[in-house]
Amino acid sequence: MYALLVLVPFLSSFMLNLPFRKLNKRLSFGVGAALFLLQMAVVIIPGLGLDKINPAVLANILNFDLGVDALSRVMLFCIGLVALVTLCANSLFLKDSDDKFNFINMLLIAVAGMNGIVLAKDIFSLYVFLEITAVVSFILIAFNREELGLEGAFKYILLSSIATVLMIAGIALFFLASASTNFAAIHSALLAQDKSLLINLAMALFLSALFIKAGLMPFHGWVPDAYTAAPAAASVFLAGIITKTAGIYVLIRILVSITGFSLTIKSVLLFIGAFSAIIGALAALTQSDFKRMLSYSSISQMGYIILGVGSGTVLGLAGAALHIFNHAIFKSLLFVNSAAVEKALGSRDINKMGGLGSRMPITSLTSVLGSLSCAGIPPLAGFWSKLIIIIALWSAGYQIYAVIAILGSILTLAYFLCLQRSVFFGKLNAEFKNIKEAGFSLVFPALLLAVIIVGVGIFLPLALDRFILSFNTILGG
Amino acid sequence: MTATTALLLTIIVPLFSGLFMFLFPQSLRRVKEGLFILSGLAGLYLAILLFKQDLLFSLPWISPGIELSFRLYNFSAFMILATAFLGFLIAAYSVIFMQGKKFSAQFYGYFLLCLAFSNGVFLANNLLLLLFFWEGLLLLIFGMISVGNPDAFKTATKAFIIVGVTDLCFMLGIALTAYLSKTMLISAINLPLNSPLVNLTFILLMIGAISKGGAMPFHSWIPDAAVDAPLPFMSLVPAALEKLLGIYFLTRLVLDLFQLTEHSGLSTLLMVIGAITIILAVMMALVQKDYKRLLSYHAISQVGYMILGIGTALPIGIVGGIFHMINNALYKSGLFLTAGSVEKQAGTTNLEKLGGLGRKMPVTFGCFLITAVAISGVWPFNGFFSKELVYDAAIERGWIFYIAAVLGSFFTAASFLKLGHAAFLGKSNAANDKTREAHPMMLVPMVVIAIVCVIFGVFNQIPLNYLIQPVLGVKSAGHNFSGFPANMTLVVITFVVLGLALVNHILGAKAKGSGLHALDHIRYAPGLAKIYDLAEKRFFDPYNWGLGLVNIISRISFGIDRGINWLSDGLTVRLAYGLSSGIRSMHNGNYSVYLAWSLAGMLVIFGFLVIF
Repeated sequence: MYALLVLVPFLSSFMLNLPFRKLNKRLSFGVGAALFLLQMAVVIIPGLGLDKINPAVLANILNFDLGVDALSRVMLFCIGLVALVTLCANSLFLKDSDDKFNFINMLLIAVAGMNGIVLAKDIFSLYVFLEITAVVSFILIAFNREELGLEGAFKYILLSSIATVLMIAGIALFFLASASTNFAAIHSALLAQDKSLLINLAMALFLSALFIKAGLMPFHGWVPDAYTAAPAAASVFLAGIITKTAGIYVLIRILVSITGFSLTIKSVLLFIGAFSAIIGALAALTQSDFKRMLSYSSISQMGYIILGVGSGTVLGLAGAALHIFNHAIFKSLLFVNSAAVEKALGSRDINKMGGLGSRMPITSLTSVLGSLSCAGIPPLAGFWSKLIIIIALWSAGYQIYAVIAILGSILTLAYFLCLQRSVFFGKLNAEFKNIKEAGFSLVFPALLLAVIIVGVGIFLPLALDRFILSFNTILGG
Repeated sequence: MTATTALLLTIIVPLFSGLFMFLFPQSLRRVKEGLFILSGLAGLYLAILLFKQDLLFSLPWISPGIELSFRLYNFSAFMILATAFLGFLIAAYSVIFMQGKKFSAQFYGYFLLCLAFSNGVFLANNLLLLLFFWEGLLLLIFGMISVGNPDAFKTATKAFIIVGVTDLCFMLGIALTAYLSKTMLISAINLPLNSPLVNLTFILLMIGAISKGGAMPFHSWIPDAAVDAPLPFMSLVPAALEKLLGIYFLTRLVLDLFQLTEHSGLSTLLMVIGAITIILAVMMALVQKDYKRLLSYHAISQVGYMILGIGTALPIGIVGGIFHMINNALYKSGLFLTAGSVEKQAGTTNLEKLGGLGRKMPVTFGCFLITAVAISGVWPFNGFFSKELVYDAAIERGWIFYIAAVLGSFFTAASFLKLGHAAFLGKSNAANDKTREAHPMMLVPMVVIAIVCVIFGVFNQIPLNYLIQPVLGVKSAGHNFSGFPANMTLVVITFVVLGLALVNHILGAKAKGSGLHALDHIRYAPGLAKIYDLAEKRFFDPYNWGLGLVNIISRISFGIDRGINWLSDGLTVRLAYGLSSGIRSMHNGNYSVYLAWSLAGMLVIFGFLVIF
């Protein structure tokens, strides 16, 4: 049934563009929302048939090799959730109904692409889905057809195309080594031969490509510009899920399914992770643009996830997956908040803001929750994932990296407190006396995400065993 | 009423009438005054009822082994009687004295609670219970001083800190005692002083006891309180209750809780503290120019005799110490009451402004005379007999202690000659021409106390045989301490010393032309003058030294705190911001730079993978 997760969004987008455009336009929001909800439901509720085998007909038409494990489930759920939030946020920002309709089409294609990435068990299919997602991302960043957006999109295209080149070269080298593109086949071929220069080159190419996609330092050049320049809803989508799926998930998939964790790769990951976590947080500290600060924060949080992966243990992977989930939620929330503030003020300069808490209580409250979750304050959701990552690092023998992770958390708290103080607390600028809380379509997703942050934070200990145990099968499986 | 009920009522009655004072509005002033005196009377009645009874009252409490246990026996019954007797008299006196004072009801409340907690200390047969009542008194002392004149709050704080610190030692001592003896039941504790830890425990508890008694070096709040606190407080607490509590517990320490032996180091330590307290405090008393301040130094000095006597660990010394305690409680309360009526009637206690009051306040003067000769140790008043017992014990342990005690006696007599001369004799001051005798209700307590002073002197076998000797039990069996002192040599020396004090005063007064300055030749004696100057600047006040030390410590701590603060709020923040702006300036939006970073990163990773 996995194929349906890819096919249905694709076909919906296709169908929506058939005749009866007027009707389709009105239907598009409902279709999108229903699909995304369904995707989340399929993951959570076992009876809905995610694990059923593809019907023979489908298997004959589409000869993809797809599969699902604990990590893919987390990703599928996040994709559905963030897409839903983006859909809501978008409906406020785009006035033109054509634009709205186009945006939803893009969203559907991106979701199809990401579902494909998550489910693929073949390195070339994975590459194809990755490219689908990347192309949609370019369009989304430049969606408003403004100068900044185009510049951001262009930077992304250029760096991303380099990543593509590196990756296709890597795939070619793997193919050379194993005469197959299937994960399992490559894995066994790599086991058979010693680590040659060729394999190392392939690994270096792959890692660099994925670091670019994930926006890790020093491969992150496109991230601040793209996130900042993108339309509000697009940055929610981009920061919330696309970079995580295209970068982090693929990285984990390659490591888990193909190369395995060697000591050298772990060192590279840990170093890049710690570097991104600390430098990203430091860079965020003095930003004056709301979204730019959030984008550096994203770089820093990607670093955390990579630190968890770099520990090379099941616990670390579980922590990384949980942090992917948490980050998808709190970063989406914060971008939604930034969209609300931008909508109300028409500006993103935090130095000009102040005292907005009294005018926008829900935005203020939810952004505090999101920030604290990001900084890893108990009992919010972000605390647990950071805790698991730190414990994993410590117990894997990387005590220094565990300490760095904790220091990074302090920096995270520092810049978020700066942000909160200058935006929502303090004296209200007279200029903004008449502003109001953002509309329902921004308040609703903010509240939904905040409830998830608190709920997951409080009830996580209950689900922890099940969650981590389900990761037990990832390594060596 | 059963004896057990009476036992509990000695605590409950003053406790609840004390709380009444706080809980009900000022408009019930008359009711409160009535209740105040009635509670004092009820306390006296209960104390008489309980006298000569032996009772053990016990209820299950915190856990098995820690019972709510009260014990009444001859010593505690004696103490309760003394407390109730003085408490009642001073209460009656206070009602008149406190007329028109703003915080009178509050003062009555503290007063009654103080009686309740003192009875609690005397009756407690459980270390925890004892600690509870003991520490409760600290708060009450603070409260009673603080309702005095406008400066009283500072003095109250001083008292609180000094007594609080020593109470902390006491608390530690209690904990160690419980640990060492493995029981909380006081009547079951009897520790031999055979290890450093037991010695330390003894010293800690001793610090608590002698500090309550007001001995040096824990004394310095008392002279300040004499000026600032309401006068009945001085008469009740530093003059009477503190001595009763401190010396009661010190006696319990020496007799029951620990096996203090003669000629032991701790015994000598106690005697040294006693001797030093006698001399230094009386030297300070000599030069005071305020009626109440002068008395307060005597309150300190006299406790030296008690500690000296009990510190000898000889039966005669302990009997002398306890006898001196009850005598001092009587005449010192009496003396403070005379100070109170002088203050109330003449409006001041400054000796420079007083004089010739003897003719205007004859009853007060009479009471002053009796209590003053009693404290100076003149035959046949009570102070004479108790001092002789202490001398007897002191000389047995060493002539130096005896010399200190006799010298103290000389100065005591001298300073009271000066006080009496300056306040009641001599030229009448124009300012207090209209001074009249005090209210009868203030006079009666003084007169009663003066009479008891005479009785305890002339018929000294009454207190000695009925009240004090039973306390020692078998230790004093076969001894007889009553009647005229056995050692005639010491008696002769005492008479000579007192005579010398009189001669000294007459000569001094003649030389200076006034009673107030009769002792100036001592004040300005070569060598002593400088020391006195320093003392008047409070150079020797251990409290100020302590405050100085605390100040230094707090400065150092503040410096450390600033240093840490500089590290966390200064250096770290500046470093983070510096790094941050550095990183920000590296992100200049230039695509080729970003590309270069990525490619460099890739090459490094490749190199790393190949090499390792």
